[in-house]
Amino acid sequence: MATDVLPDEARLLQSRRDRAFAQMEGHDVDVLLLGREANARYISGAPRLWTAGTRPYGPGCVVVRSTRAIHLVSTWDEGMPDDIPHENLFGITWNPGNLFAWLQGIEGVSAASRIGTDSLTPRFGQMLPKLFPSAEFMDAEPLLSAARRIKTPEEMEALGLAASVTETALAAAIDALRPGITTRHLTAVFMETMAAQGVTTPATQRVAWVSRGPLPSCPTWVEEEIGPDDLVAFDAGVVAGGYMAEVGRTWPADSDRVSSDTTLLVQKSNDLWAALLAACQPGASCTGLLQAYTSVGQGAPPLPVAFGLGLGFDVPVVSAHLPQTAAQDHLEAGMVLAVTAQVDDGARSILRKEIVHIEETGPVILSTSPLWRA
Amino acid sequence: MSATLTVPTDPSRVRMQRDRWAKLQATMAHQGVGTLVLLGNSNVSYATGASWPLADPGRANVDRPAAVVVAGDEAPHFFSALAGLVAEELAIPTDHVHGPVFAECDEGAEAFCRTLATLVPGEGRLAIDEFPGAMRRQFAEFFPDAKLAGSDEVVGTCKLIKTPDELGFMREALRITEEAIAPVQAALAPGMRQSDLTAVFLRGVFDHGAEANILDPIWQVMPKELADGPWTTHGDIACPLLTTERELEKGDVLWVDTGISYGGFSSDFGRTWVVGEEPSPQQHGQYRKWREIIDAVFAHVKAGATGTDLTRAALEVTGGHRPWMHHFYLCHGLGIESAESPFIGTDLGDAYDERQVLEEGMVVVFEPLVWEDGASGYRSEEVVAITKDGFIPLTDYPYDPYGD
Repeated sequence: MATDVLPDEARLLQSRRDRAFAQMEGHDVDVLLLGREANARYISGAPRLWTAGTRPYGPGCVVVRSTRAIHLVSTWDEGMPDDIPHENLFGITWNPGNLFAWLQGIEGVSAASRIGTDSLTPRFGQMLPKLFPSAEFMDAEPLLSAARRIKTPEEMEALGLAASVTETALAAAIDALRPGITTRHLTAVFMETMAAQGVTTPATQRVAWVSRGPLPSCPTWVEEEIGPDDLVAFDAGVVAGGYMAEVGRTWPADSDRVSSDTTLLVQKSNDLWAALLAACQPGASCTGLLQAYTSVGQGAPPLPVAFGLGLGFDVPVVSAHLPQTAAQDHLEAGMVLAVTAQVDDGARSILRKEIVHIEETGPVILSTSPLWRA
Repeated sequence: MSATLTVPTDPSRVRMQRDRWAKLQATMAHQGVGTLVLLGNSNVSYATGASWPLADPGRANVDRPAAVVVAGDEAPHFFSALAGLVAEELAIPTDHVHGPVFAECDEGAEAFCRTLATLVPGEGRLAIDEFPGAMRRQFAEFFPDAKLAGSDEVVGTCKLIKTPDELGFMREALRITEEAIAPVQAALAPGMRQSDLTAVFLRGVFDHGAEANILDPIWQVMPKELADGPWTTHGDIACPLLTTERELEKGDVLWVDTGISYGGFSSDFGRTWVVGEEPSPQQHGQYRKWREIIDAVFAHVKAGATGTDLTRAALEVTGGHRPWMHHFYLCHGLGIESAESPFIGTDLGDAYDERQVLEEGMVVVFEPLVWEDGASGYRSEEVVAITKDGFIPLTDYPYDPYGD
């Protein structure tokens, strides 16, 4: 992180915009009205305030194919790329009428034949066609996710920084693990170490949970104290420069008190990981990642087995709940995935999440956090 | 000021949920809504009583929990990989517990709509908060004739007035924030980076029991003159600006703004600090002016006051210059969102403000400011619960180093 609020670096931004405009071209979309911060950041390169949780749709970033102009809702120019001039900025407004007037006044929007949005609320779903009656509205998320799913070399650098900060913070949290503390304290240590590295935004905020099965065993609002015989699952990440990294590990609270059952589970975890990695080949069906679980006799985990890392999440999202989606999609060179190996014996589970770059020659594991070895 | 409201020190989630459920059902009945479909994190939290550590906004879309509220039902349907974990504690029956929703892809949205079709009663409008593209496509397939409504009218109406348990959770969220902020202020010194302040704060919020941080904390170094700050669309103050690794210098004026979540509620905190030295007499004067504004506004704060009663009181002190950020408001509601209705002093204008009427049980954050171009300014936030005759302050964090 710098000492000034800066736009994304020019080469990085250009590489993303080229992909985004090529997708607009390919899908014959004239204008994008983007609400999702990840999409707005991808094309605009402008950092805006991070808040946690889903946000309702509102068109805060407008992209016009014919002029290649990008317009943003931002009251100030701090962090704006040079090619987004002042006249393309529109101040924060609470008045829908002002927002609509701004949208209608942007060159190229009213004349658009096809307008894409990356989500909608019922109200915008009703209003936008009234504002732009000659336009056909379409879902832009598929074309944006198609642009985003393959990482450019410049994006790999950005992801590398997020991974590095994640792993340093994760190491500090694992180092703080001992019986008698709460899992929330491990989150506190993770967050402190993250911010000490100059990165102040997390990807997720439940960093650790006591592993008594495939899922946390109590709601986050219950203070979870770690016992001497507990295994603790760490599953954490940060958002640096907009890019998200996530890494998962499982460590015992006291490595002198590890049962033989746990040792067997570690072996199963290693087997599953080997099977998952073998499935991470360019051109391979995403189903291979689900089959890896079957091959070692492990039921699929409750959370996704894999999802793309980038600005927010990217496709593919591989989950046992989405078998057709997995069968229809395949891995491609240039994808970066968070791949989860999670095994359980009913009483406890071992979670391992790695950052995997699919390269032409096969998978490369980018995460380097040490594993606990039984 | 009087205290007709009670704020319990041991709020109960189950009791809170029971009260909310009655409100949701009554509001749906009144508005003719048969089914409420919720995908937004805070709306789901409101309808189910569950809360969880919120993720990055992009990340949060991938496995977002969902809730479905059916008119006349006894409990919400809760869709999440973690739903089973919290169902018993929240008194959600097992047949209302469902697996995760993947609303971002057609297969996931179709599966969700298929379940939804079995839940939707024959009558009443269908209200939904958000339509990711895949959901919109599938929704149109499954419910081609649906009389669609937005969910804001229902949830927005319900959440406006806080129940006693909600006030209890909110006060706890504010207490955690203040306990976490005190060590940050104590550590404040020239040479620290803005991000170092965040490190101290984040450590504290989780150690004091927060469920999540909800905002990249703001420690904005204010310029002496507007001309020294970024260009703005309105020529007024640029705030909040993002935190970086900028090192703080002696005499820097910091505008602090942050919040956390607890029990599904957002907190809000705003103060002005000076780095490494005492405020000057002029700066103390800014604080006194701010005090004058807030006191003038507070003199009107009670159930029944309109938004313009409040903005007028502030403007009388300043001689007509709006003493709040021109892109924000004099005050905003606080609850499951860090800023929610009522909004007073926005660009919606006086006519809108006149229609905003304070009611007992609202929680409102007042954030006036004083700016003296050439000498920077002062801003703090006050969080209060509105009562019949006045208000109850929900925070008591000191104004140091300003004031007496």
